[in-house]
Amino acid sequence: MVEVFNNFLGGTITLFSDPIGILIFVGGVVGGMLFGAIPGVSMLTLAAILLPFTAHLKPEHGIMLFSVIYCTGVYGGAITAILFNIPGAPENAPTAFDGYPMTQKGQAGKAVGAAVMCSAIGGTVSAVIMMIATVPVAAWAIRAFGPPETFALVFFGLAVAASVGAKTLWKGWLSILIGLMIAVVGLDPVGGIERYDFDMPYLLAGIHFIPMILGFFAVSEVFVQAEKKVTGSYEAPKMSVDFPTFKELWSHKIAVVRSIFIGFFCGILPGIGATLAAFMGYNEAVRWSKDRMEFGKGKIEGVISSETANNAATGAAMIPLLALGLPGGALTAMMVGVFQMHDMEPGPLVFINSADLVWVVFAAMFFANLSIIFIGFMETKTIINLLRIPFQFLAPLILLLATVGAYAVRGLTIDIIVMFIAGVAGFFLRRSGYSVAGIILGLILGKIGEQTFAQAMQMLYFEFSGFLDRPIAFGLLLAGVLTLLGSIYGAFFKKQPQQQPE
Amino acid sequence: MFKKILVSTGVVTGAALFSASSVFAACATDSLPATMEGPGGFPERALTMIVPYGPAGGSGQVAQAMAEAVTGHTKVSINRDHKPGGSGTVGMTAYMAAPADGYSVLEHIDDASSAHALDSGRPNPADDLIPLVTSQITFSQIYIRTEEDRFTDWDSFVAWVKAQGGKASIANVSKEGSMERVTMKFITDATGMEIQQISFDKGAPRYGALAGGQVDALFEQPGDVRNFLDAGTFKPILTILKESPEAFADVPNLVDAGLDFEPLLRFRGFYVHKDAPADRVKWLQWAFQKAYCEQSYQDYNESKFMTLIESYRDTAGSIELINNTVAQYRDVYKVMGLEVK
Repeated sequence: MVEVFNNFLGGTITLFSDPIGILIFVGGVVGGMLFGAIPGVSMLTLAAILLPFTAHLKPEHGIMLFSVIYCTGVYGGAITAILFNIPGAPENAPTAFDGYPMTQKGQAGKAVGAAVMCSAIGGTVSAVIMMIATVPVAAWAIRAFGPPETFALVFFGLAVAASVGAKTLWKGWLSILIGLMIAVVGLDPVGGIERYDFDMPYLLAGIHFIPMILGFFAVSEVFVQAEKKVTGSYEAPKMSVDFPTFKELWSHKIAVVRSIFIGFFCGILPGIGATLAAFMGYNEAVRWSKDRMEFGKGKIEGVISSETANNAATGAAMIPLLALGLPGGALTAMMVGVFQMHDMEPGPLVFINSADLVWVVFAAMFFANLSIIFIGFMETKTIINLLRIPFQFLAPLILLLATVGAYAVRGLTIDIIVMFIAGVAGFFLRRSGYSVAGIILGLILGKIGEQTFAQAMQMLYFEFSGFLDRPIAFGLLLAGVLTLLGSIYGAFFKKQPQQQPE
Repeated sequence: MFKKILVSTGVVTGAALFSASSVFAACATDSLPATMEGPGGFPERALTMIVPYGPAGGSGQVAQAMAEAVTGHTKVSINRDHKPGGSGTVGMTAYMAAPADGYSVLEHIDDASSAHALDSGRPNPADDLIPLVTSQITFSQIYIRTEEDRFTDWDSFVAWVKAQGGKASIANVSKEGSMERVTMKFITDATGMEIQQISFDKGAPRYGALAGGQVDALFEQPGDVRNFLDAGTFKPILTILKESPEAFADVPNLVDAGLDFEPLLRFRGFYVHKDAPADRVKWLQWAFQKAYCEQSYQDYNESKFMTLIESYRDTAGSIELINNTVAQYRDVYKVMGLEVK
């Protein structure tokens, strides 16, 4: 531990004794937050723009810049998710489930404050674990966790998803199934078989979840509010900059710890990352809550769980990258490019050949997560004033941002069409008591689940009994089945409180 | 089994086996003029490069490297427009719908050739497009963990797999008709091995599966796993070429292993629509072929192990490469029982 502390101290001194390094650090923190907050124009966009320029930076500056953008970019998308129901990135979608209803209730300050604090806590703890245990954790993760375990994890997550935001359990399950069905459009992820493309080449790429998220959340919300405006029942969101008190946050300490664990765990799995982390963090908050039917209606625990988990995945995603050279997602894959531009390769040798660089990056990620608290609270008081914009001006702005965001994902017009179809469908589904959050959960987890199930079956030689030989996978599947049975029992034999549709 | 149908394509790999040193001593396009006036001031604005894959993968990286090299020597900006999905189909469709004015170019890989071989309704990169340059040609290898003790080389690997009665696995991208699946069929037919192919469409989970012991072997190209080779985590046990490149002289090739089939190559190149004005196409050919020998691009190719065999083809060479590849895949697909449209 002393050696870790000394290395961290050395990295910190190197980082803050170099004016150029400080400039790049601050630029990365602010740039990540800004680009993370704008839908479609994500931190990945910023990273792609900056990638060629990193060739002219020192290696430690280039890699540090990307790691800082990663930390603050994941947080940035929470602001628009909470204030306008527009998640800046997929990993912020669960934040909108409860964050936006809180804004409608006049609790925007509490929601943003919780997102700021929990993003910082999740990211900082993750950075500390990254510093202490990168090499052993990475080695354990890739040995213990293959496609069967990832599939079991997704199944475990889906088992509770029906509780999120629907009027009844059955409508919750139907919502999940709609999401799962949408997830199978396009080439199948393993054999490359064409499905439900109706001879339209663009559908071969599948229905991307970002236009769906923007349609179901942002566009349908504009329709809902427009209807209220027309019928005279519209009420502007109440302004509030009341941050959550320490006591309020402390009362959710278990949710925070649980989400750190989940986020970190999802983050270290190559190719999984922050999106699954946020959804799993949210789902587990629902699973363990006494009043789970309140989720999706403005429960602060939903924001806390999602934002803690997605930022906890940032430090964790650096572990397989640095220890093994395995990038966890698109941004960490670009970091491989930064390494290569400087004739370096991430992997075990980095700790031997470039230990100084590694510790500058570790220190930068630690302080970037801490800086979320200060910059987050400073900007929040300004950003919340956006809620003062009258609806007739705000609505077109939201539609414009959502349209840009949907198109920016792949540069395909069909994504804009999908977004508006989802917007109209979301408008009616919400009125009918179905859960648009459940559909998104089904879509995102369904894509991961289908792929890992097919890989798992190949790996287990198409024998289901192979799951029994893998304790983690078996345990997760068993827990998922028990959750399912419990919810079915509850639906039949316990009196459920009647829920209002979203 | 496949010997007869593949002999005709021997020229593909035979021509590829230039030595790397000859590439550097006199780069392939050194003889091209250093400057060329664009017809009528072409291009008057930035070019758009449609890339049918994401920015972080091999195609995204080569697109970036080539765009920078072209801009470096022509001062013409290139905007990269990534349209991933459908194994390259989405990007190809978007490109074919773009105006054929020479301002849009396309990056694509050999998947376009195999897709056309399977379904002639899909664009033929040699007929419907004009190849500007093929800038990366590489081969595949089979890798195991360096610390592996159940087998240590190709022969012991084959023996071990046979002893498992089908309970052995290899990570690759085994989509229907893919280069990986076809090559694995060659290998399993020739050796009598029964091995389960686990399909991972992204690199990191694929490499993690081998590093973590989730699979027994990995099918990949050397440039994609160079960091694992440099770190000593993985080691190649078979080079899927008939002659070993110098860098892998101690790794058995197909001939050493007694495998008699023509290897399929992975290649990436840049294209323009066949209906683009001829004078603009000529300028684009010069710009992209010349960029291949820019130092920045050569450095990039070297870092990706893309100089182990000859990676360069001009337009005529690219057409020959594509036509041979399409014919090769088409013959193999028929033998495999796939429906060739």
